[in-house]
Amino acid sequence: MTAVTQTAPRPAVAKRRRRDLRSRVLTPYAMLLPGIVLFLAFMAAPILYTVVLSLQTVKVEGLGLGPDSRSVVFAGLENYANSLADPEFGASVLRVFLYGLIVIPLMLGFALLFALLLDSKRSRATRFSRVAIFLPYAVPAVISSLLWGFLYLPSVSPFVFLANLLNVPVPNVLGPNLVMFAVANIAIWGGVGFNMIVIYTSLRAIPSDIYEAARIDGATEVQIAWRIKIPIVIPSLIMTALFSIIATLQVFAEPTTLRPLTNSLSTSWTPLMKVYRDAFTRNDIYSAAATSVLIAVGTFVLSFLFLRVVQRRAFGQED
Amino acid sequence: MRIAFKAGALAAVAALALTTAACSSPASTGDTDGASSDSGPVNLTYWAWAPNMDKVVDIWNKSHPDITVTVNKQDGGDAAVTKLLTAIKAGSGAPDLMQAEYQKIPTLVSAGALKDLSKLGAASTKSDFTAGAWNAVTLGSSAIYAVPQDTGPMMFYYRKDVFKKLGLKAPATWDDYAKAAEVIHKADPTQYLGTFSSGDPGWFAGLTQQAGASWWSISGQSWGVDIDSAASKKVASYWGGLVQKGVIDNDPMYTPAWNAALNDGKQVGWISAVWGPGVLAGNAGKTKGDWAAATLPQWTAGANANGNWGGSSTAVTAQSEHPQQAMQFIKWLNTDPTAVKALAQIANIYPADVHATDSALTTAPDFFSDQSDFYQVAAKASAAVQPFTYGPNVNVAYSAYTDAFAKAAQAKQQSQFLSALSSMQSTTTSDLKKSGFSVK
Amino acid sequence: MATIATTPVLPATTRTRRGHAERPSAFGTAILLLGVVYCLLPVVWVVMASTKNGSELFSTFTFAPSTHLLDNIVELTQYRGGLFWLWMLNTAIYAGVGALVSSLVSALSGYVLAKFDFPGKGVVFGILLMGVLVPSVILAIPQYFLLAQIGLTNTYWSVLLPQLISPYGIYLARIYAAAAIPTDVVEAARTEGAGELTTFFRIAIPMMAPGLVTIFLFQFVAIWNNFLLPYIMLGDDHLFPITVGLSGLLNQGATVPALYTLVITGALLSIVPLIILFLALQRFWRVDLAAGAVKA
Repeated sequence: MTAVTQTAPRPAVAKRRRRDLRSRVLTPYAMLLPGIVLFLAFMAAPILYTVVLSLQTVKVEGLGLGPDSRSVVFAGLENYANSLADPEFGASVLRVFLYGLIVIPLMLGFALLFALLLDSKRSRATRFSRVAIFLPYAVPAVISSLLWGFLYLPSVSPFVFLANLLNVPVPNVLGPNLVMFAVANIAIWGGVGFNMIVIYTSLRAIPSDIYEAARIDGATEVQIAWRIKIPIVIPSLIMTALFSIIATLQVFAEPTTLRPLTNSLSTSWTPLMKVYRDAFTRNDIYSAAATSVLIAVGTFVLSFLFLRVVQRRAFGQED
Repeated sequence: MRIAFKAGALAAVAALALTTAACSSPASTGDTDGASSDSGPVNLTYWAWAPNMDKVVDIWNKSHPDITVTVNKQDGGDAAVTKLLTAIKAGSGAPDLMQAEYQKIPTLVSAGALKDLSKLGAASTKSDFTAGAWNAVTLGSSAIYAVPQDTGPMMFYYRKDVFKKLGLKAPATWDDYAKAAEVIHKADPTQYLGTFSSGDPGWFAGLTQQAGASWWSISGQSWGVDIDSAASKKVASYWGGLVQKGVIDNDPMYTPAWNAALNDGKQVGWISAVWGPGVLAGNAGKTKGDWAAATLPQWTAGANANGNWGGSSTAVTAQSEHPQQAMQFIKWLNTDPTAVKALAQIANIYPADVHATDSALTTAPDFFSDQSDFYQVAAKASAAVQPFTYGPNVNVAYSAYTDAFAKAAQAKQQSQFLSALSSMQSTTTSDLKKSGFSVK
Repeated sequence: MATIATTPVLPATTRTRRGHAERPSAFGTAILLLGVVYCLLPVVWVVMASTKNGSELFSTFTFAPSTHLLDNIVELTQYRGGLFWLWMLNTAIYAGVGALVSSLVSALSGYVLAKFDFPGKGVVFGILLMGVLVPSVILAIPQYFLLAQIGLTNTYWSVLLPQLISPYGIYLARIYAAAAIPTDVVEAARTEGAGELTTFFRIAIPMMAPGLVTIFLFQFVAIWNNFLLPYIMLGDDHLFPITVGLSGLLNQGATVPALYTLVITGALLSIVPLIILFLALQRFWRVDLAAGAVKA
């Protein structure tokens, strides 16, 4: 992983030996079997089942209290039409886009900045910093939201306490205007460290003689960072951006945990919260399934477009 | 390589997965009442969330070695119902017994989640309960879906020291309450007599119940939805007015902030229910001795009307294989004097059994030890509870409440409280219609 | 990039442009330490809060420590007969066993995808990769229905099995295998007549080891973080992992606020083992998401 200049050994070498069909096709598939079986059982089947559910709905007769008053019927695309026409769904999608516009640039920006600082020979306390900044990754979202929730609540927040001492007015971060930042902050807090490590890893893979030469030419650390380091870690940045986009569209745990603390988060604040509410609170898993499928397709399209835009740099190596 | 997205491959996976999914469409198990006739020892699982319910059940287990009940502690009523409904849809995974809040019973019945106990001898317990509680578990039909366990008649708790200092009396009417709220907030702008909680639909439902509302109704084979009735509007506009004026807080209850406010005297009153002392003891421990309990303020001076907030029953799920034994346990739990006493004193709930309650609840709860007539006040509150019918989509109405009233409370506009109510009404009605329920 | 390169990102550091590269930069270090403060703030809070008793929690200054940490731990340990420690043990089982098996499956699949050439390879990898895009929230409900068919809900299996497959892990394993295992070595083993599985276990696994540790940690955290799956699958709280258990306590804390201190102490205790695990394995933390691309 350290040699950048050396090209990766190509699997095509295996072709040199002519082998029979059995070992050429059956062996790899036999070895892939555990992965494929698990994938089919716990990902493909549930996904397909979701699709089946999304095409159904429940019909009730009369009061709906007798034993046979409830039946599952085929609904066609009705659930999809309802989902798309639901203003709550549209609002939640829009909200998530805004949320992503806050989270992704800030999170990746800080991650890149910290990674560069860690990599810089002029920084001190790097070992400690690396561990400390990475630490939040160990904290489950449910627990980190709980911790930040306590720090946000005006009556228990240390920030409000200090601000009151100094007689500075503080806005309520859980109020309707700022609540998105409050949620975004938790995501950034939890994600900066992980993305920093990803970028830092690819920075460490660069042989140092590449910038020794630049240093001799009188380039500053900042110039080295901009001209050499950042272009080299672009593929890593693309991948972290892609995974951040996916994670953003799936934001769920943070706002759900914060919701009981404030009037500003509705039960359909993000698309997945709406899915959860429809499936569990409203007991309508059929429309929840349709919304899930829409989210999954949306995620796929967006990731695909993103990779297209960045010229499939990250996946280009083996075709 | 790039992300392969080839139709053929997808179809292959789809076909494989389809065979897995095809044999998995969930079906609820048939209602075979009293199917099991086995006489050997049986194990029953019981989903409950009332504190210390396992200790109450231990009493049963000691005296009934043949029917062992295991309590699986649940987070709360909503979480337990969510899980039960999922298990019912999946066809397995449900417990034998379930602590079910009254407002969830129509939903559970409609999902085919509960066994009809009328053929198992549940009718013999009828005389132990008030007509209102009995109606909640039968839905006015000849079936019996659960046996009442506890009730939650609403009560008003207030800081008597603060009231005394300001020369206020316990509010007899809602007008008095509004005036007291204003006086208190004027005297100390950090203090509030209460908060309008958008997080507690059951609380608001109870308040409208007191005013004479019943959000659902059954007439013949049709449901009626009457959430935005005149009575509910009166309640919504009253609270909207107080919030708009700023004399009542607008943040939800049950947050760390609210707990802190009760403890340090920023919240000096709480519209709650008979189970309130347990909560106050936990979150406002250092104010013990400063509180008084009273019946709810009235809309008409001299009237005695009340609503319910909370309260639950014990039901047997459709998937139970031992309904007879389960029924035996339910009857014991909710009507046996020893059990009822344990419910009151160990699980800290207000038992629904009217006979046993008088003897089980003699001394005031510890937090109100200086108010010897606590349970007389509670009994008065309990007797005044007005009739109220819950519908099969309480969950939809409640989550609509959470969203609509959160917005209204945030905006601090009285008019928005009224539009929140009509948004609840239309969400609830259209959900019923969409599912095919016959709606009047 | 070329145009951006003319505008320095940190104006302050440019002033020291003549400085020798090895000289410590106070500014850069300061920014780094600011990041540290930000990341440690809630952690410090939970440490402080867990030293407080119930009444101090909401009444004393948030960052002022108290003396009740041991009382809180004792109380938490006594809560319903040591249930908390059972949750910790369950979490260790779910995340530990789950991540171990999952890493092995990922390693095998990644190795095959990187080192074998066979028809349909691209399709298999592409489909597996699409799994990355599907939120676990969406999967949890149908997974419940499917497991209910074979009566596995409310068991350890119901939480373990669905998390053994990790498309992300396979993706990473493929990258590691491609980078760390020279094809000649595999070829040599085959020429000597070693079986494919022997080659995998004896040669590939040791070579991929550092990467596999990352995948293990990665999946460990993913299982540890997955709240909804165990929440839906489990009815018996003796099977709960720590997150579901603590969240239940927190919900009950709404009516019994004394539980808040337990939740906070529990939160602190629950992240300690993970922090230790991270520190112990930190030199393996190299998440190379795009190693292949760098080489291309």
